[in-house]
Amino acid sequence: MQQLFAWSSVALGGGSVTFVGLLVFRRIRLYRLEVERQEAERRLEPLALALVNGEEIEAVDARDAGVLAGLLSRYARQVTGDSSSALAGYFERSGGVEREVAALGDRRAWRRAAAAYLLGDMGSEWAVGALRDALCDGSRDVRTAAARSLGRLRASAAAEELVGVFVTAEVAHGVAGQALLGLGSAALPALRGLTGSDDPRLREAAVELLGLLGEAADSPLLVARLRDSAAEVRASAARALGRLAAEDAAAAVRAALDDRIPFVRAAAARALGEIGGRDAAPALLALARSDHYDAAQAAARALVRVDPTLLAAAGHEGFGPHVSEAVDRAAIRS
Amino acid sequence: MTLALQVTAVVALLYFAVLNAIYLVFTGIAWRGVTHHLRARAYAGENEAFASPLTPPISILLPAYNEATGIVESIRSLLTLRYPEIEIVVVNDGSTDGTMGSLVEAFDLVRIRKALREAVPTKPVRAAYVSRRHPELLVLDKENGGKADALNTGLSAAQYPYVCAIDADAILEEDALMRVAKPMLDDPSLVAATGGIVRIANGCRVDHGRVVEVGLPRSPLATLQVVEYFRAFLVGRMGWSSLRSLLIISGAFGLFRRSLVEAVGGWRTETVGEDIELVVRLHRYLRDRGEEYRIDFVPDPVCWTEVPEDLRTLGRQRRRWQRGLGETVWRHRGVFLRPRYGVIGFFGFPYFVIFELFGPLIQIVGPPVTIYAYATGRLSLPFLIGFLVVSLLLGVLLSVAALALEEFSFRRHPSTRDVVRLLVFSVAENIGYRQLNDVWRLLAFVDLARRRRTWGAQQRRGIGARNSASSG
Amino acid sequence: MPEDRPLVLVADDDDDIRSLVIFRLERSGYRTVVARDGDEALAVALERRPDLAVLDVMMPKLDGYEVTRRLRREDATRAMPVILLTARVQDADVARGFESGADDYIRKPFSPQELCARVQAILGRR
Repeated sequence: MQQLFAWSSVALGGGSVTFVGLLVFRRIRLYRLEVERQEAERRLEPLALALVNGEEIEAVDARDAGVLAGLLSRYARQVTGDSSSALAGYFERSGGVEREVAALGDRRAWRRAAAAYLLGDMGSEWAVGALRDALCDGSRDVRTAAARSLGRLRASAAAEELVGVFVTAEVAHGVAGQALLGLGSAALPALRGLTGSDDPRLREAAVELLGLLGEAADSPLLVARLRDSAAEVRASAARALGRLAAEDAAAAVRAALDDRIPFVRAAAARALGEIGGRDAAPALLALARSDHYDAAQAAARALVRVDPTLLAAAGHEGFGPHVSEAVDRAAIRS
Repeated sequence: MTLALQVTAVVALLYFAVLNAIYLVFTGIAWRGVTHHLRARAYAGENEAFASPLTPPISILLPAYNEATGIVESIRSLLTLRYPEIEIVVVNDGSTDGTMGSLVEAFDLVRIRKALREAVPTKPVRAAYVSRRHPELLVLDKENGGKADALNTGLSAAQYPYVCAIDADAILEEDALMRVAKPMLDDPSLVAATGGIVRIANGCRVDHGRVVEVGLPRSPLATLQVVEYFRAFLVGRMGWSSLRSLLIISGAFGLFRRSLVEAVGGWRTETVGEDIELVVRLHRYLRDRGEEYRIDFVPDPVCWTEVPEDLRTLGRQRRRWQRGLGETVWRHRGVFLRPRYGVIGFFGFPYFVIFELFGPLIQIVGPPVTIYAYATGRLSLPFLIGFLVVSLLLGVLLSVAALALEEFSFRRHPSTRDVVRLLVFSVAENIGYRQLNDVWRLLAFVDLARRRRTWGAQQRRGIGARNSASSG
Repeated sequence: MPEDRPLVLVADDDDDIRSLVIFRLERSGYRTVVARDGDEALAVALERRPDLAVLDVMMPKLDGYEVTRRLRREDATRAMPVILLTARVQDADVARGFESGADDYIRKPFSPQELCARVQAILGRR
């Protein structure tokens, strides 16, 4: 027993001391590295800024090149336009893009993901092919980073694949969506096609993105989705039409105010607030008195935009708590 | 007598061995989890999420009772959060100290009539206000009903699909909400709730609703808690989250899907552990329905909060926590060892029952029994000393490991002196502080027997009060 | 006689943004003065009376919207053109920016060239 205790004590004591030692050494090392890095960055900052500005710069030695690349990646995250192109050119010339594309084959997932992310910052189109392949990587983090970068690079060629991963859980949802928004109109054909898919999730996703990316001409397509069999798709369609402020769809959206499902009614009400048009006012007022909270709230708020006079009058007559709230809130804003 | 002694000894030893084995394993799991999370942060894409119109809006619920000293500062920190769209629902739970007055003045509040869902019954709301300057700020003035009741009232007024419950004296970091929401943004149909890490603000300098300088509290009691929180949060919660058995989301900072909270009936008012109780209930609800889900702990987003610096208040807090645990365990005893509840039923929940709920009992009984055994000659001195030394060193190792984890990853404490002080306290924590905690937790059983319901008085010094002069 | 190059106030708590904007503006022939938070921005604006202010929105102490509003309230700075340069990109944010009194709203990530062009356009009109 004694022996056991003695050995355990030694082991535990040793363990604690080791941690403390590691702590101390690491702190010192990191501090020194940080100081060096900051000093290097200070020195290289004028060079980096000149490069962002499109000017030519002289080559730097290997150690500085690393710091410079880090600095430029940070800048790359903040800029677009000509500056982005200038940076992309530098990264291509200095081999940075090549290095990160090669790292997409690293056996460690975190390294691949970091590479996928960096390639988006670097802004070079050379990376698009490799990034599209990375969308099928085994690690979700890598796929997500690749999707994000493809969005940053506005890689229209990847539109269909990105739409595909947006719906499945293969890539983090928010990131995929935002990447698609980055693609802009390049994604539209694929999205339009998807509105006819068999899978309601795909239809819903496509409709939502059309609302953010679409044009006035997409209105009929979305109006058709207002009669979709799935409630989520109908609600999404109403939201999308609101975002597009599609006045020609006003009548169809008004019809959706009678949908059996409350959240569809709520979405329709909200959309009418954005589309405008006095014709919707009576229906909205009726909805604002209804018992379902979300629909009534949305309708009351929409009335503020659609017909404030009617709303004020209704407020006096006691048309329910949602109308009263909307009246009071509107009064504050004026 | 001898048999009883022997049985007690065996049980105590077994308990000791298993508990520390679990702690050690958890430390390892937490290291991996934190490391992975930190690396993932580099490619998490927070900037994109911030800019995205697809990022869902969040309603922040802030229950407040007699928080006049700190609430304005706290709300200011919320108004400047880096998140695309939020609303802040402050629920004044019948404060008697002028909380309402300071709110009206600081934020230019205007009275409005507010429609409420009232899906979960609450004490009546006396009035509702909106800020003229910040239309996203809504304040509800209601009759006193307790924290859970206030949260339910906030739930009733919340308009967005997600609700974030935070404490009135909590100061959130700028990116805290974005980070705690990230798992939900990534998997909206999967993640049901997330919890963030709580760190101790005593000793930090706060300016305009932000922690601008991290420091250690001067009070030794508070510093002991800093060390304790590292273990409890960084190691404990991270570990449980990795095992998919996170049963506690701190009431100080938790994010939930509103529809789920409504589906399970909101926060329970009959218990003081309403935060644990809700999470356990969510687990049960989702598992009963066979739905795939996740409840995560995010080690990164930080919520700074004040901790008690005097023994009396601290004791009350710990007794309350233990009481809440007891009430929750009893209410949900059906989870214990049921296959349907998977890892929670077989590991998470039993752990809480054995080591957290009844642990203090064994830990308190240990020393007197040992001394008795030694006094009656059944235990040799070398054995006794050996055991004490080993248990002390184990405790120290675990505390130091947790501190090292913090230092290796987040490095919030820039001052080396602070780190040294933390090391010293890591050792000191095991000599007296833990034992004191056990005493408090034992007393909680007495409370439970007496069916105490109240929260006890809180001494609030207020984060803004002792720090930056400018608060306007 | 000191030169009449216009003075531009650049306010942002992010070091990188400040560096990028200042470099570009100075290369284009402007003088610049710097602020790291809302309070400082307001103080500098009132003291140095720049010809134009480029403000971040999410700054500590006082946000860009509030700084703009206060500038509009003071006689001395009421006519000072304000460009908001910010990561807040939602439509509601843009609307809020203009409602606060800003003359232009540029989203981040931004094109330094475009920023410069807009500065030139605004200052050219005066």
